[in-house]
Amino acid sequence: MIRTVNLCKKFGDTQVLKNVSISFEPGNCSLIIGASGSGKTVLLKSIVGLYEPDEGEVWFGDTIYNRLDFNDKREIRKEIGMLFQGGALFDFATVEENVMFPMNFFTHWSSEEKLERVNFCLNRVNLINVNHLYPSEISGGMQKRVGIARAIALNPKYLFCDEPNSGLDPTTAILIDQLIYEITKEYNITTIVNTHDMNSVMEIGDQVGFIHKGELVWEGDKNNILSSDNEKLNDFVFASKMAKRMKELMTEKDM
Amino acid sequence: MKVALELIGRYLLLMKMVFSRPEKAKIFWKQFFVDAERLVLDSIPIVAVISLFIGGVIVIQTAYNIENPFIPKMYVGYMTRESLVLEFCSTMIALILAGKVGSNISSEIGSMRITEQIDAMEMMGINSANYLILPKLVATTLLNPLLMLMSFMLGLIGGGIIVIFTGVVTFSDYTTGLQFAFRGYYIFYSMIKMALFSFIITSVSAFYGYYASGGSLGVGKSSTKAIVVSSVSILIANLVVTQLMLN
Repeated sequence: MIRTVNLCKKFGDTQVLKNVSISFEPGNCSLIIGASGSGKTVLLKSIVGLYEPDEGEVWFGDTIYNRLDFNDKREIRKEIGMLFQGGALFDFATVEENVMFPMNFFTHWSSEEKLERVNFCLNRVNLINVNHLYPSEISGGMQKRVGIARAIALNPKYLFCDEPNSGLDPTTAILIDQLIYEITKEYNITTIVNTHDMNSVMEIGDQVGFIHKGELVWEGDKNNILSSDNEKLNDFVFASKMAKRMKELMTEKDM
Repeated sequence: MKVALELIGRYLLLMKMVFSRPEKAKIFWKQFFVDAERLVLDSIPIVAVISLFIGGVIVIQTAYNIENPFIPKMYVGYMTRESLVLEFCSTMIALILAGKVGSNISSEIGSMRITEQIDAMEMMGINSANYLILPKLVATTLLNPLLMLMSFMLGLIGGGIIVIFTGVVTFSDYTTGLQFAFRGYYIFYSMIKMALFSFIITSVSAFYGYYASGGSLGVGKSSTKAIVVSSVSILIANLVVTQLMLN
């Protein structure tokens, strides 16, 4: 389990995170949602340690992660898989080498064993015959899938995804969401996904936290997000005219 | 002043991360050979061309400045050798490499930073500074002194070619001058300087690349800063090392 306690982060004079306390359960796909600039990415990066929180605690199991030194943090990071917004694939390496990268560092497997694992991970994300292509030679959706394959290469306990379907068409976005969801359930991973895509919320949101101007203002799941009476959440969820109309119809139906 | 101290502090902290034990020796050496090829071997053509031409130019300039009949003509060879070994082959070549290799390193690492590739490595539990910078530092610091030796030899050959084709002095005078009052210590001094300058170029450029921010514009800015700071640092280090080793 991962949890944050009163997490605060400031950049200059701007308070980006304000006392965020939230827990993420294993085997759940937990989503952090909010408008652009609300502090979602800062929260995610503060949890994984790419940003140092100013105040508060980040717990990984029984360990206060943000108080560990560099080397101890690295030990926990070996159990983390992370999918970045832009894929963050190494452009000097082929797809195969990208997925093999963490194995080269942290396993003593033979070349055959590593290749077998690479092919397993690539098959798991439905990618075949791309082993020898470079990231620049494959599409954005494929890059995201390679990113997922690399993230699960060493059977992580925790999976972090920063806007996994940004820049993708709706069909591919749903495929990526489903893939993350299936992997989470299959390996009982604690998955945290950062998104502002309501389709993702409705597809995979076992647990949803809504961030507004750096504050966690609502927590729930995909089943109760549409019926919430939280004004800020409703402004976000029903931002478009179509969504507002849908909300009106839902209200009329209830009455 | 505060900004300068902050920069030095960050640089030293980065160096602390760089000089930790590599995760696996095999990965380090693989990366070492990749970087040695890209940063050192690929610099051979530019260094060779410049050295040949500068050797020739030094011969012509020295010959035209020694018109006094009381000064033996063999001093053209002597002056060419001393100019090349004391200053040109280390300091000038280092300044050229600061532009070529320095911008290469800072833009490569900077691009990796802004596309989150460095963050991805960190999230895997890999010491990204150690993996990306240490092989480059070791490769350039160990191998660039050999580049300096090559530059010295080619400079002398360039001078020799000019002597043969223009006849500003006889070839015999030139080779006599090359052997006159030779001090092997100067070669050692020049190699030490080159090793130090290579360390400066690589570490400073890597530092600016590693902390690049602000998209592609930021990468461009950090490359420029890397070249300027490396060049100025080389000139300061040159002064200090010369004072220490030749005085």
